[in-house]
Amino acid sequence: MLGELLHILAAAIISWILFVTVDILFKLPEAGGVSGASAIARDIEAGGGALAGGTMMGNIVCSPDASAGTLLAACGVYLAGIPGGLAAALMVFIGNRICHDPGYAGTSGAVLATFVVYAFTQVGFAATDFIAGMVIAILTIQGLSHTHASRLLDRLWRVRQ
Amino acid sequence: MIALYIVAAIAVFAAVRVVAEQKTGRKLPYANVLNFAVAGTIVLLLDHPLSLVAAAAYFVGSTLEANAVASTYAGGVKR
Repeated sequence: MLGELLHILAAAIISWILFVTVDILFKLPEAGGVSGASAIARDIEAGGGALAGGTMMGNIVCSPDASAGTLLAACGVYLAGIPGGLAAALMVFIGNRICHDPGYAGTSGAVLATFVVYAFTQVGFAATDFIAGMVIAILTIQGLSHTHASRLLDRLWRVRQ
Repeated sequence: MIALYIVAAIAVFAAVRVVAEQKTGRKLPYANVLNFAVAGTIVLLLDHPLSLVAAAAYFVGSTLEANAVASTYAGGVKR
């Protein structure tokens, strides 16, 4: 039981690094993809957060990004191995188009996560560890403190620039 | 098994925060966590290849709803 908990914790850290890196590489903090994302960013900034970080959080809410890609890819790998992960990537791609998101952060994140999750299942991890891990990872960004999360993302975004 | 309990607990936690938060713009990220957790729960509960389609359909649908709520909150379509 302790081993599984440690695996989930490790999977959370890996998923966190994966999705934040892909999202920042795809410039999610730069501008709101839809007007709603910018409105969320303004509310987070009004609460003491940073605008660029808030914009990335708004974009995560408004369209499936790399974090959603990682979650669904982990689900896909759990249910059907690599083909399942790639099927998840296709569904994320369709989801992006439905949500008027012109970007490829979600699809790229899902394809990348498919191979990362599959590689870790070969060394003792279970794909379910990554499902729980990704939910913990998104909790740390979107669900604990918007102020601190947006400031952290803002700092990482400045490094990218 | 622990994974399922963790994900379900996070779903409940996120739901409480959605209700407790006053400002619409700040409710939505909590709702986003809830969507992630529910999509994860669907797959962990139903071990069947089609659960992936169910989870993806749920997730994309709820994201589109969040998108619509946020855009309406931002002022809707400008004509």
